[in-house]
Amino acid sequence: MTASETRKTKRQDNLSSDTDSKTEKSWSFWTVFSSTFLTIFLAEMGDKTQLATLLMSAESQSPWVVFAGAAMALIATSLLGVLIGYWLARRLSPKTLDIAVALLLLVITGLLVGDVLNS
Amino acid sequence: MDWQLLGLSFITVFLAEIGDKSQLAAIALGGSSKSPRAVFFGSITALILASFLGVIAGGTIAQFLPTKVLKAMAAIGFAMMALRLLWPELDED
Repeated sequence: MTASETRKTKRQDNLSSDTDSKTEKSWSFWTVFSSTFLTIFLAEMGDKTQLATLLMSAESQSPWVVFAGAAMALIATSLLGVLIGYWLARRLSPKTLDIAVALLLLVITGLLVGDVLNS
Repeated sequence: MDWQLLGLSFITVFLAEIGDKSQLAAIALGGSSKSPRAVFFGSITALILASFLGVIAGGTIAQFLPTKVLKAMAAIGFAMMALRLLWPELDED
């Protein structure tokens, strides 16, 4: 059982098992996929990676090579990020994890607000 | 295939993204979510689409898309996720 599973169970231990499966369903693959997609996509628009890709592809004669290189780099950094998150999740208590994740999300919010104000 | 250009763009983007907010988001969402795989696929789709737009749009994208508005919306999204984690009661209907 992962830490987040334990946490979910703890929160719902007073509910019946059939509400439990319902809640699990609402956090399905596609819910997580689309919320991650939307927030990260919006956050990355006009970000330095996009600008770097844009400039490098404009400079070089082969934009698709630049695109392939950038795509591989982004896959690698996301994979690292998810693995680090998963590793941390198994080592921290659910409560600590909740607070740490919330603080991290607030840091991201702060970085984005900084971007908006500075651009 | 221009391997030097491929390597150059890989290294540039890789170094720029280490510790960047999208990687922090992947750490946060991947740790708190029940399906880290969905977070991984969601984030790579978003990142690849964003850099694809960068490649096809050339220099014009900054003029047409109000990136400030998009980023402000993303900031609201992340803030809401954080609040939901800090006060789980808000989540219950």
